[in-house]
Amino acid sequence: MRGRFYRLIRDLHLYLGLFSSPFVLVFAISVFFLVHTWLPKFGSDASTTRVVSGLLLPANLQTLSGRPLIDALKPVLEKAEVPGEVGFVQHLVKEEKLIIPVTVPGRETIVTINIASRGATIVTRETGLAGAMATLHRSPGEHAPAIRMNWFYLKAWRWLADTTAYLILFISVSGIYLWYVLRAERRVGFVLLFAGALSLFGLAYVLSH
Amino acid sequence: MCSATEPTAAANSPAASRLRVRLERWNRKLHYYAGLFLLFFLWLFAVTGLVLNHPTWSFAESWSKRTDTNSERAITALGPEVKGDLGQAREIMKQLGIEGEILWTTIRTDANQFDFQVRRPGHYYFIKADLARNHVTLRHSEVNLWGVMKVLHVFSGVSIDDPRQSRDWALTMVWAYSMDAVAAGLIFMVLSSLYMWWELPQKRVPGAVALGLGSLICGLFVVGLRWLF
Repeated sequence: MRGRFYRLIRDLHLYLGLFSSPFVLVFAISVFFLVHTWLPKFGSDASTTRVVSGLLLPANLQTLSGRPLIDALKPVLEKAEVPGEVGFVQHLVKEEKLIIPVTVPGRETIVTINIASRGATIVTRETGLAGAMATLHRSPGEHAPAIRMNWFYLKAWRWLADTTAYLILFISVSGIYLWYVLRAERRVGFVLLFAGALSLFGLAYVLSH
Repeated sequence: MCSATEPTAAANSPAASRLRVRLERWNRKLHYYAGLFLLFFLWLFAVTGLVLNHPTWSFAESWSKRTDTNSERAITALGPEVKGDLGQAREIMKQLGIEGEILWTTIRTDANQFDFQVRRPGHYYFIKADLARNHVTLRHSEVNLWGVMKVLHVFSGVSIDDPRQSRDWALTMVWAYSMDAVAAGLIFMVLSSLYMWWELPQKRVPGAVALGLGSLICGLFVVGLRWLF
């Protein structure tokens, strides 16, 4: 019975670990980009600008804000062929302009809509593989939950990011079990476990006191 | 019971070199040594990752449960030797007995009015200094343990969206390099696990399915979405 349980845990540790490993790599590699604000360009860094006109803007656009504004802008952006996650929309009341950031992992687009002329200037910048990983690492993040996750794919990414976190928790707990079964390694393991705990709690204490 | 430290079939092969056997053994050992050392760090980042992704989870709410303390403090005039925003901020912090990472939140328009924030896990200081009157209005917000943990997840002193921010506290630097070390350790663990899996011939096919599925889904988001849309 114990042998069967051990094998089950060992197989789950292996297969779930393999499944989650690309996600773990994305999160781990992007740490270097975020901690050092360094985005190496693996791909093109092209920036393009185009202009569209004759946009069909909702009549009440200027009265909307937050999620209703994003929902109202979605068909407009679709018509202008700008897919992606819409960020915080700036409304320049005097200039009658809306500045809309739209993100697809690896690409950032700024759409400036002129409400009076019903035209828009669309500036697209490729941020490459590193940019994509940094975007995914921070998505959805803690800010502005009311407006975030307005694009299906980033909503799906949140489920995957959550799944990765749950899998890391499972893999670490199952890893403890697999280590503990190895009697010869217990002493070294306990020393490392203690050293790791001391490092984390020591650092956290010093930083917060 | 087959244990994770037992040599694999490949290692038992007469053709296997001694070096390879040693490499396999140490790869396996280092995999769980690294895992055990990083365990609490991984739990911290996994749990706070979940909490940051779900800001509506009320049990982990920290900002609305903060404790605010307001005070008015007099400071001694900043001498001419104190130059630049960073120098002035450091001098004010020294006089107030505050340590932490400086956060520039406003653009300075009046030379006598100097507003900035100082952060460290669990503590937020909002400083409004009137340099003409040598007077500071200080708000100190203290958050709970969840707040400390969430800040630890993102506490790097820099922001990819705001080039004005730079690390100016030695402990931020220590923590930033700790995050690097955890990330490097995780990358090592992934690579060592791939090696261990490959050394198990009977698990290669199901393992390849799991790895392939994960890579396909992850690849869709990392590179695929840009091509599709």
